[in-house]
Amino acid sequence: MKQFFFWLAVVVSLNATKLWATEPVWFGNENAQRILRINSAMDLASFEPILKKFVELHPDVRVAYRDVNTLELYYLTIKDQKKPEASLVISSAMDLHLKLVNDGYAQTYQSSFTDRLPSNFKWRNQLFAFSLEPIVMLVNKKAFPGVLPEDRQSLLQTIRQNEKAMTKRIGTYDIRQSGVGYLLASQDARQADVTWGRLLEAFGSHDVQTYCCTHDIIDDVASGKLVLGYNLLGSYASQRAQEDDRLKMILPKDYTLMLMRAALIPKGAPNEEDAGIFLDFLLSDQAQKMMQTQGLLFPIQPDMNNPNDPYVVNAPGPTGIIELDQQLLVGRDYAKQKRFIRNWEMALEISEED
Amino acid sequence: MWQKSPNHRALSEDEEKKALENAPSLRFRFILAGVLVIGIIAGLAINLIFDYSQKLADLSYDRLLRSALLQMDENVGLMRNEVSIDIPWSAFATLAQAEEDRVFYKVESLEQGFITGYQDLDSQPPQPPVLDQIQFYNQEYSGEMVRFAWVQRHITDPETAQTVRIILGQTRLSREQMASAVTQKAVEVVVFIALVAITLIIIGSHLVLRPLHRIERALEERAMGDLTPIDINTPKETHHLKVAINHFMERLQSNLEQLENYTADAAHQLRTPLASLRALAENARDNTSPERQHQALENIVKQCDALSQTVTLLLNQAVVSHRLQTHRLEPIDLLAPITASCREQAVAALHQGVLLSLDCDLKETLILGDAFSIQQMMQNLIENAVRYSREDVERGTEIIVQVSEFERFYRIKVIDYGVGIPDIEKERVFERFYRGRYDIAGSGVGLAMVKDIVDHHSARIQILDTEPKGTTFQVDFAKLRFNEDTV
Repeated sequence: MKQFFFWLAVVVSLNATKLWATEPVWFGNENAQRILRINSAMDLASFEPILKKFVELHPDVRVAYRDVNTLELYYLTIKDQKKPEASLVISSAMDLHLKLVNDGYAQTYQSSFTDRLPSNFKWRNQLFAFSLEPIVMLVNKKAFPGVLPEDRQSLLQTIRQNEKAMTKRIGTYDIRQSGVGYLLASQDARQADVTWGRLLEAFGSHDVQTYCCTHDIIDDVASGKLVLGYNLLGSYASQRAQEDDRLKMILPKDYTLMLMRAALIPKGAPNEEDAGIFLDFLLSDQAQKMMQTQGLLFPIQPDMNNPNDPYVVNAPGPTGIIELDQQLLVGRDYAKQKRFIRNWEMALEISEED
Repeated sequence: MWQKSPNHRALSEDEEKKALENAPSLRFRFILAGVLVIGIIAGLAINLIFDYSQKLADLSYDRLLRSALLQMDENVGLMRNEVSIDIPWSAFATLAQAEEDRVFYKVESLEQGFITGYQDLDSQPPQPPVLDQIQFYNQEYSGEMVRFAWVQRHITDPETAQTVRIILGQTRLSREQMASAVTQKAVEVVVFIALVAITLIIIGSHLVLRPLHRIERALEERAMGDLTPIDINTPKETHHLKVAINHFMERLQSNLEQLENYTADAAHQLRTPLASLRALAENARDNTSPERQHQALENIVKQCDALSQTVTLLLNQAVVSHRLQTHRLEPIDLLAPITASCREQAVAALHQGVLLSLDCDLKETLILGDAFSIQQMMQNLIENAVRYSREDVERGTEIIVQVSEFERFYRIKVIDYGVGIPDIEKERVFERFYRGRYDIAGSGVGLAMVKDIVDHHSARIQILDTEPKGTTFQVDFAKLRFNEDTV
């Protein structure tokens, strides 16, 4: 594990400096007695209304919200294990979060809200999912050559038919920098190994652009710099697609990955009581409803009464829910991960030094 | 006479309650013993279940662990002379069946070192390593007890050979849950059975003891003085109790009858001398001559003496009978009571012109007996001999008490040379209130008492004729033998 840590630490340190320096955003009354620090890999745009609602309901709590990249968050939590700064850690990289729990960095929490949560949305009463969203492709309708793809096969076809127009105009995660990017890639490889191989090959031969973060990809798709973003988090994509006519969110028809966002309370965390209260709030009907009605996130059990609601997942094909259990550890196996990233680098014709 | 409670009185209700509280309860003992036995059995069963459920859980989950380990093992290979492993997703999907259990693993090669997994995991198995043989063991890791499966095997290709070791572990949560679920169910059943059994015992004890209560009630409800047998229907087990009670009542009845007879006879015996006393007194009153009056008064005094003797005899008999029933026989020197009574009687005999002599040269004569009773017996025999002695024949006023030793017994002879007893009467002299001759004073209870005492000592009494005339009472007392009887 040490080697694993070391090796990844080298990769991370290249881009880490600026992320570690991120200052937290404060919510709530400045004079509030209690302070709840949340480290989270989630865009504030999706989370701000929920945080505001929380401090409104609990005026004696002040929330410090720090946005950290998923992989970053993993190392930060391990680094802080002796004296954790954050009371609650939220991430979309389910695998890293599960590994944190497996390796004993989280503490147990139980309440009537966590008891109500279906068992496949929690693990060991230490890891709790509060959102289930689809993984999507986002296209710029105007810039996209030809018919919009409906699945990965048709995307491959489009790339082959429009080699020039597609070169350097597809964006996806740098799986070395983004924890969730790695998770999605490894799940793609698991779901459909051959398709994934072809896709990777096509991405490599057409100079795919790699990013650390979802919103950078979305920005570039919106501006027309990219025509397609691959494997994006549904909540961000759908938020932008609603505001921006140029963008269209596509749920791949061959299979749609479903990702959970999960939270844990680090072992020895300060103010664990408020972390529990916040977690309960996230799982409460009120917050879940807010996610859906205000278009923030995809709730775990959406209100199905409104079939046209974009926050009710209506996948055209089968959904592959990434299960929140020990299998996630396989993807993060040291040897497997090393090999997977090397293959990815070779296919994309980029070296470690990039 | 009977053995009686020393101060007989009816118990008050409070005392009765207290006595009842202090008395050991048959039912309580029965239930206690039953509960104890069932408790021990249940305890043993539960202990076994605990053990068994642990084994069962380990057995089931070890299969998962083995299957996952083999799947990992199958995906170990050599690539460019280096060991590599591609852990299959399915291996951990297998482990995910233990839903909440953390997973730890390590793959290493003895030549190449750490390959993947948790580097700080201890890869030394508790048993000496044997190739291709999976070992299971518990070991603490990351703050929790973890069940590990361990395997080691050679991996070879034409250019290189390496020894690969795979350690795969999962925490014991699911095992404990399964074991406790099994245990809980089984314990519930065991406890249920135990409770049913205890209930049955309680009900059973009530049923078993009910006939006793019925007998008790039947006795309680009886009218005073009703000594007829109990005739309620009772089960076999209490039949003997019922029979014993009925026997007891029979004995009580016969004792009562005896007492009634005795009292009647005693009253009868006292009435005759009282009547004659009255006659003598009237005589004395009516007689004017002082000489005759004096004579009559003299007779009254004699009569009173005789009466007093009878009363003393009756009292002695009561005392003896009481002693015989209450005192245990103990080792005594037979000569002691004999000499004592001879000494006591010698003077009285002399008053009547009878010469009493003791003929004995034994030093020690140990028997099992009651000294007071034997003294009474001797006194009666001697008095009887004195009473029947006469002056008109040769040696007629001589009484010899003789003690002699035989192999197994001592023989006491009381020899007189008096009138003797006809053979027909010999059998009847021991009957109570039987009197051979009414012209000679006597109560008729003396010899009956002698017989009682002799019987009680398991001795033997015989009436022989003295040559040429007279009666010899011969009593044989068994010797006390230390080696058999007293040890």
